[in-house]
Amino acid sequence: MRGHGFLLANYVPGNSLIHRTPLAVKFLLVFASGLASFLISDWRVSVAVLAGLCGLFLASGAGSRRLVRAFRPLAPVLLVIGAFQWWQLGGATAARIVLNILVCVLAASLLTATTPVQRLLDGVVKAAGPFTRLGADPERFALTIGIMLRSIPYIAGTFADVRDSARARGLDRNPRALVLPVFITSVAYARQTGEALAARGLGEAGDQEPDDD
Amino acid sequence: MPIVAFDQVTVAVETDQSPGSKVLLDGIDLRLAEDRIGVIGANGSGKSTLLRLVNGLLQPTTGTVTVDGDSTVSAVRRVRRNVGFVFTDPLSQLVMPTGREDVELSLRRSVRNGHERREKAEAALQRLGLLPLADQSIYELSGGERQLMALAAVLAVNPSVLVLDEPSTLLDLRNRELLRRTLAGLEQQIIMSTHDLDLALDMDRVLVVEGGSVVFDGSPAAAVAAYRALCLAGPPAFPSPSSPGTVRQPGAS
Repeated sequence: MRGHGFLLANYVPGNSLIHRTPLAVKFLLVFASGLASFLISDWRVSVAVLAGLCGLFLASGAGSRRLVRAFRPLAPVLLVIGAFQWWQLGGATAARIVLNILVCVLAASLLTATTPVQRLLDGVVKAAGPFTRLGADPERFALTIGIMLRSIPYIAGTFADVRDSARARGLDRNPRALVLPVFITSVAYARQTGEALAARGLGEAGDQEPDDD
Repeated sequence: MPIVAFDQVTVAVETDQSPGSKVLLDGIDLRLAEDRIGVIGANGSGKSTLLRLVNGLLQPTTGTVTVDGDSTVSAVRRVRRNVGFVFTDPLSQLVMPTGREDVELSLRRSVRNGHERREKAEAALQRLGLLPLADQSIYELSGGERQLMALAAVLAVNPSVLVLDEPSTLLDLRNRELLRRTLAGLEQQIIMSTHDLDLALDMDRVLVVEGGSVVFDGSPAAAVAAYRALCLAGPPAFPSPSSPGTVRQPGAS
């Protein structure tokens, strides 16, 4: 099973200024990047923001290889989006849209590369705290985010495996030979993950309570 | 050592193919108190079903399973705290991107303080010599390293019983030996299903499961011989009555 090709970088241990920046500030950076993608109307501003984020990413010590790895899986999709937008709305708009998507991905990668997952989850638990009044369990929010971070590369790896096996059987042009096995494997994976969590007593209703009986 | 007890346990499931239900385990009566207990048997014989009952992952259709007196139905949360479960495929078990994060996830329920949790996770990884691999993506680890990481995540909460469902099936010889040495050094009671007969010979007691019943229960050497005879000659083929251990007829309790 291959599990690579995930666009968000894994945590890189370090002690850079960005590593030490409070989680709330990093969350705000991601939020602001998402907002900026709607507000920026000039592609040159997008270039400047992207360059700034690249600088921050490199300054964190995460390295240029991870930076490239964060962009690479998106390249085919961005090419299609860019070409379509160029045809429909012109070069400047196409460049702005593609650059703004990269800004969002890079901001999110900066967060995940400089923050251990457990600290991210602690942040999610804290942020979801007010929802306890409505009966929600903040730990479940955190668990959901954690599992999402792990599941996306798994499913991407499944897709690569299925594509290879379809290719080996000469079925690489048959969408059913690709989609169905990925779907079935993903459902099986979800079941196995649920079982693994249950075996560890995680994610159960009221799992913070001391005991049964 | 904790005592895992099966009292007249039957597990049956409804199937679409045939009318009525399919019996996966039938009339199991066991009292497991030894340090190391092996479960061997053919694919589909009921080994995994038997093990899943111990952790409460599966509930008996009839009968009861208890771990130190706690029912796996009415006290399942306490049972799961005491019984760690290791699956065949560690990729299904490791739900976080790195080993350190997965071990910390195990501890989230019992240790609220983040700093303390990190320290405990580090200690759990150190115990199995996994600290240098702690921050690597689980996809970058070898099969054996992943299996040990899954084991570390389970052991971090210090269960008294460790259940392992064919933990060596996906491992090469070197990683199998690594797992074998690691298991030998653990203080927990171990209940493990396996197709690796060498690993079964390390146990104190071995059960042979066939067709949903325990057909042999005794010393490892006799159990392995019984299993070999069963596989080669087809059932019913058991060792002579002079062999140590208890020969059970399928379906008998």
